[in-house]
Amino acid sequence: MAANNLIARGRALITHPRMRWARDPQLWVELFVTSNLLVLAADIYIAHSVNQFRKAAEYIPLYFSIAAPIALAIVIALRWIWRIHAPWRDIGYLVGWLAILVGLAGVLYHLESRFFLDRTLKSLTYAAPFAAPLSYTGLGFLLLVDRMVEVRTADWARWIIAMALGGFLGNFVLTLTDHAANGFFAQTEWIPVISSAFATGFLLVPLITNVTRRYLDLCLIVMILQALVGVLGFWLHLRANLIEPGASLWDRLVNGAPPMAPLLFPNLVGLALIGLWGLIPHVPEAPQGTSWLGATYAWAQPDNDE
Amino acid sequence: MSFRSVFIAVVAAFALIVAAFLINRARPRVETEQPTADFVRASGKCAECHARLQYSVVHEYEMSAHAKKGVNCLDCHQPAAGQEKMDHHGFTISKHLTAGNCRSCHEGIYQEFLRSRHAAPSWAAVFGAAGLTKEQVAFSEQFQPGGTNRAPNPLVTPEGHPAVNSGCEQCHAVGKPNDDGTIGTCTQCHSRHTSSVELARLPTTCAQCHMGPDHSQIEIYSESKHGIMFAAQRNLLKLDADPRTLTTRDMFVPTCATCHMSGINGLKVTHNPSDRLSWYLADKITTRRPNYQQAVINMKQVCTQCHTQGLIDRVYTQADAIVAQTNDKVKVAQDIMDGLHKDGTLSSAAFTQPIDFTFFNLWHYDGRTSKHGVFMGGADFVQWHGNYELFAKTVELKHQADALRKEHGRK
Repeated sequence: MAANNLIARGRALITHPRMRWARDPQLWVELFVTSNLLVLAADIYIAHSVNQFRKAAEYIPLYFSIAAPIALAIVIALRWIWRIHAPWRDIGYLVGWLAILVGLAGVLYHLESRFFLDRTLKSLTYAAPFAAPLSYTGLGFLLLVDRMVEVRTADWARWIIAMALGGFLGNFVLTLTDHAANGFFAQTEWIPVISSAFATGFLLVPLITNVTRRYLDLCLIVMILQALVGVLGFWLHLRANLIEPGASLWDRLVNGAPPMAPLLFPNLVGLALIGLWGLIPHVPEAPQGTSWLGATYAWAQPDNDE
Repeated sequence: MSFRSVFIAVVAAFALIVAAFLINRARPRVETEQPTADFVRASGKCAECHARLQYSVVHEYEMSAHAKKGVNCLDCHQPAAGQEKMDHHGFTISKHLTAGNCRSCHEGIYQEFLRSRHAAPSWAAVFGAAGLTKEQVAFSEQFQPGGTNRAPNPLVTPEGHPAVNSGCEQCHAVGKPNDDGTIGTCTQCHSRHTSSVELARLPTTCAQCHMGPDHSQIEIYSESKHGIMFAAQRNLLKLDADPRTLTTRDMFVPTCATCHMSGINGLKVTHNPSDRLSWYLADKITTRRPNYQQAVINMKQVCTQCHTQGLIDRVYTQADAIVAQTNDKVKVAQDIMDGLHKDGTLSSAAFTQPIDFTFFNLWHYDGRTSKHGVFMGGADFVQWHGNYELFAKTVELKHQADALRKEHGRK
C-alpha cells in the first residue's frame, strides 16, 4: 500500500547512517540550549530596555546570549559534520560554566530589586525577577550534563528530566505568583498553575522510582497537555494586551501580560520529551506489549544503529 | 504501568495545587476577591479591581454625589450613541468619555451649556469653525452670533501647534467637538470621578482659564471684597449644597458660580454663564449682547440677594460708563491702525511688526481688564492694570505710528 511505502521510506530516511544526528538526543540537548540562549538574547534586550540598560552589567547577559549560541553552533557543526570533538567539549564546558556564572550573578544583581524593600507579591511580580536569571544556570547545567554524564544512560536521561522538572516547578511558582498578583481575575489563570503542578508531579516519579513504558506514555500525554496550555496562554496573554487600555500596544506588550512567557511550557515540554525519550531503553516493558513511546523508539532506533 | 508511579505523581501534583490554593486563600481579601462582569453590571464593583490599580479614582468616586445616589461606574462609562467602544474584562465600555455620557442623565444642563460661549464659541475662538459641523455652527450662532462662524485665531499659525495644543487648547477644549457629535467635557469644571458641584463652585476652578493678562477674572475677584471674604470665610460656606435648594445661608459669600450660574434663593440655575451677561466685554469694541435687557435683570436679581437696589444700580451705571470710555480709547487706537493699513504703511499680515503687538495688548489685555475690573469690583484693575496701561500704550502706539510713517516717507 502507498501508506506503508511512505512509512517505510520515512524510516529508511531516519535510519540512514548519514542521519545519525537525527537520532541523537545529546545533539537535541545541544540545540535546545543554543536556541534557548538565542531567545534569551531577545528576552533580555526587551527586559533591560525597559530599564534603559541603566547599569553596564545589564549588557553582560545580552552579549553572552548573542555570543554563546554562535560559539555553540560552530562547535556543534564541527562535531556532527566534521567529527571534531575537542572544541565541542571544551567550548561547551566554557559556555556551560559561564552560563552558570551569569545566572548566579544575575540572581545577585536582581536581589537589589524593589521586592526586598517592601516584600509584597505585587513588588515580586513587577520587580526585577530574581529567579529569572536561573534559566542561564539551568542551560549551563544542561551543557555540563551533556558532557559529564555518558549519553544514552539512564543517569543522563534522568538529569535531563530533572532539568525539565525544575523548569516546570519554576513555572508553577511563577504562574502562581504572577496570577495571584492579578487576583486571579479570570478563572483561566488557574490553568497553568494546575497544569504545571501535574507536570512537576509526573516528571518527579521517574527520578525517584522505577517506572514502566506505559507510565512514560502517560507522561507524554501530560506533556502534550502542557504544550497546549502554553499555546492557550500565549493567545490569552496576547488577547489581553490587544483589548486592555494603555498608552500603546507596544507598551502593553512590554508591561502587560507577557505573551512569550506561556511559551515556556512547550519549550520545557521539548526538554522533558528528550529526557523521556532517552529513558525508554532503560525502562522495562512490563507487561510485554506496546507503548507509544516505546514503539516509536524501536521504530527510530533499530538495533544495528550503533 | 505501576499504580505506585501514578499515585506518587498525582499526590505530588495535588499537594502542589492544594498548597497553591491555601497560599492564595491566606492572602488579604482585597487582593484575591474579583467581581464577575455580571456583578459589576449589577453593583458597579469596578472598584474591587481599580482600588489596587488607581486608588485615588475609587476614593474620589466614593466621595461623590453619584456614589451616594447609587450611580455606578458603568452608568457613566457605558458607550453613548456614536462613541468608540472598548472591551474591558468581559463588558463593553466607552473608550473616551465626553459630554455625551453626562447628558444621558443631565440633558437639560447639557442643552444650557450648548447655548453658552463655553461650548462651540470657546473652541472656535482658537481653531475657528473648521472642526465643527455645519449644524453645530448654525445652532451656536443662534445664541452667540459671530462666536462660532469665524476663522482660526491669527496667533495659531505663528505660535505653532505644539504651543497652541499645550496652551490655548487646554482651556478652549471646554467646547471641543467630540467624535460622537457632542461638544465639550463636563469634567473640565466638575472633575472626573468626584463629579463635584463643590469643585465647580470654587473660584480656583474657573481660574484654570479665567486668569492672566487677557482675562484676569481671578485676579480681579481676589482683590475684590467678594474674594477677600471668600478667603476669610470659605470654611463656613456650604460649597456642596444642592444647586436646586441653594440659599445665601449656604453661600453668603459669592464665588464666580454664585453670580454667573447658581440658582441661589430660588433663582433659575443655569449652565449658560452668558444668561446673566449684558455686554461682550471680551470684544475689541464692546457691544450689547442680544439679550441685554434680560441679562441685566437676571444678574441684578442675583445681586439683590445680598445688596440694595441703589448700590446695584450705581455699580451698573459706573460699569456702563467705563465700557463706553474704554470703547472710545480703543477706537482711537483702532483708527490709527486702520489709517496705517489704509495708506499702505502696515502690511495686512497680523503680528508681523511691533505696533501690531502694542495694539493687541492695548485692547486684548488692558481694555478687557478695565471693563472686567469695573463689573467685578476690582479697582486696581480698572486703574493701574487697565486705564493707566491703556493711556500708556496709546501714547506708545502713536509714537510707533509716527515712526512708521516717517520710515515710509508719509506725512
